[in-house]
Amino acid sequence: MDETVKPSEMIVHLGPQHPMMPGPFRLNAKLKGETVVDSEVDIGWIHKGIEKILENKTYLQGITIVDRICYLAAITNEEAYVGCVEKLAGIEVPERSQYIRVIVEELSRIQSHILGMGEYASFLGFVSMFMYTIRDREDLMSLIDSITGARITHSFLRFGGVKQDLPDNFANDVKYVFGNIRKAVDQYEELYATDRIYKARTVGIGVVDADTAKDLGVSGPPLRATGVAFDIRKDEPYLVYNDLDFKVCTHTDGDVYARIQVRLDEIRESMYIIEQCLDQIPSGPLFPEGTAYGRRTPIMRVPAGEVFHRVEDPRGEMGFYMVSDGSDKPYRVKVRGPVYPTLQTLPGLLKGVPVADIVAIAGSMDTCTSEVDR
Amino acid sequence: MMHLEDILINPLLRAILGLCLMGVVFGGACVVIWFERKLSADIQQRYGPMRVGPHGLLQLVADAIKLFTKEDIIPKNADKLLFVSAPILLLGSVFLMLVAMPFGAIIINGETYVIAATEMDISVLYIEAMSAISIIGIFMVAYSANNKYSVLGAFRNFARMIGYEVPLGICIVSVAIMAGSLNIVEIAEAQSPLWFAIKQPIGFAVFFIALMADMGRLPFDQNESEEELIAGVITEYSSMRFGYVFFAEYIHLILGSMLAVLLFLGGWNLPAALTSNTILGIILPTAFFLGKVVLVILAVIMVRWAIPRYRIDQVVDLSWKRLLPLALLNLGWVIALGLLGV
Repeated sequence: MDETVKPSEMIVHLGPQHPMMPGPFRLNAKLKGETVVDSEVDIGWIHKGIEKILENKTYLQGITIVDRICYLAAITNEEAYVGCVEKLAGIEVPERSQYIRVIVEELSRIQSHILGMGEYASFLGFVSMFMYTIRDREDLMSLIDSITGARITHSFLRFGGVKQDLPDNFANDVKYVFGNIRKAVDQYEELYATDRIYKARTVGIGVVDADTAKDLGVSGPPLRATGVAFDIRKDEPYLVYNDLDFKVCTHTDGDVYARIQVRLDEIRESMYIIEQCLDQIPSGPLFPEGTAYGRRTPIMRVPAGEVFHRVEDPRGEMGFYMVSDGSDKPYRVKVRGPVYPTLQTLPGLLKGVPVADIVAIAGSMDTCTSEVDR
Repeated sequence: MMHLEDILINPLLRAILGLCLMGVVFGGACVVIWFERKLSADIQQRYGPMRVGPHGLLQLVADAIKLFTKEDIIPKNADKLLFVSAPILLLGSVFLMLVAMPFGAIIINGETYVIAATEMDISVLYIEAMSAISIIGIFMVAYSANNKYSVLGAFRNFARMIGYEVPLGICIVSVAIMAGSLNIVEIAEAQSPLWFAIKQPIGFAVFFIALMADMGRLPFDQNESEEELIAGVITEYSSMRFGYVFFAEYIHLILGSMLAVLLFLGGWNLPAALTSNTILGIILPTAFFLGKVVLVILAVIMVRWAIPRYRIDQVVDLSWKRLLPLALLNLGWVIALGLLGV
């Protein structure tokens, strides 16, 4: 962005601390009155050096670190990391563990989408919606808590399996909670579809077309809202997604409204996936037979090699590139997060919009700054 | 019809009455703040304040202690004089509105005594003018605070004010035409037996929407929309200066609701049979009036927590393209009714 301003213009630095921000990042906007002339995204305020830390931790210790990449998608981060190691070491995960992983990951996707949606409504000044979503998300957090023993940073996955089995009576709990969530999601959708102010603020705002999105490497709901049916669960199936029936939710408008709708639809699909999992889940061991992976194995050597493994995060494509030199620690880990490309759409989208729409557009991307900076 | 003024010949007594009314409004604002917290919590399925006093009743006392003891920060490059005096002007404008505002009436032996500090022949005009003074305070803040968010918030405030003041004014004119007076007491008295809200429903709807914009309540709180402009105009204010602005907002809410009741919802008028008894005549009209004010406040608060916020250009669009034609239509309707002699 050109820093020189004409007499009628001014530069406003939204952030790094700003009520709009999901985490500290800065949006520098050059304004002419209420209109954005130019803008740039300035990131790096919450860089935690996770990739470097991972080089200095054993493989098992790394699981707790990747949790911290983004607290809303901790379990999918773990899946990408653990998946890498499993590919390198050639570990076959037993089917029961795979199903449990799918259940936890989909639960985490639902809670992330619900929170993102509520937060978005509060950006538009509709604070009550935020409280409703927090209420409904609480049930989901309890479900996740009952499986993993933690609400946010789970450290639940292990190489070759999961930490522990599903709790007793889990299927009934899920049934009860999903009954509530289904009702709630229907209510959200009706509210969004009937509220005139909400529609005036979202329909036709911040339109991304499919080509721009693909060029920038956008993935997840922002990409699917443009009509591209790209979902790693379908296109490059991992775990047991091949055996499950679900559809990739797309919308064609590419505007803010469509992005929220995609998330609403995905919540329903995820609930459907979990119900299938609970029907199909086989009994059996959590870890491969005859291996030591189920025990505490702080020192584990992984064969030398390079691997890339990617999973579908609530926000898009989450990938880990891992190089092993045969020692007990990874030689190099590179994280490919979904939100960094998504943020790069903002300068283009914000050109010529009023100040109020900065919030509407940036919020609809459901960004997670913690993950951008890592 | 008589005015308390006629009894309270002594200016000192009148001043005391005025101060009492000020105290009533101030206390009312405290109650409304607590009420809004509880009601919004109820709408959002929370408890709201619960710790300070029973059901958080004393929360505002705690807040006041906090605001009084906090450091009063004046930004380094601020224009100090304007910065310091702006909150006083903002609070002062709402207290000036109060001077001409009737707070109910006492009916003894068929004589009506209006409870108000003064009586003016043009009280509606006066109240509107005092309400509009607050924009000068906003301008002073934007000029002095040396903050970009304040400037943006003030821009929005001007744009919004120019938009809504016109339909608001036309609605008041229609009411004045129908009542044949600019005296707010006479307008209230003219609504016996039929309220102006029933005689001119469009006018009431337009007035109510414009009034919400006037009071800066959501969906029209663009000037301090938190998610975009931090706190908009008042971003730089801290400690009790923020408290002044905050109180001014709530007192404006109370006085605005009173205005709506006086101009459209029948004021304190009751059937004569109900007020023939002396005790009932003292209690009922004022209670009826204040009860309606509470209902209007309730409606305004509930709207705030039930819908998202408009963008500023959409508000201006709404004011000029929807509210203004409707207000003019209403004016025509009132004139037609007048010509037909209804």
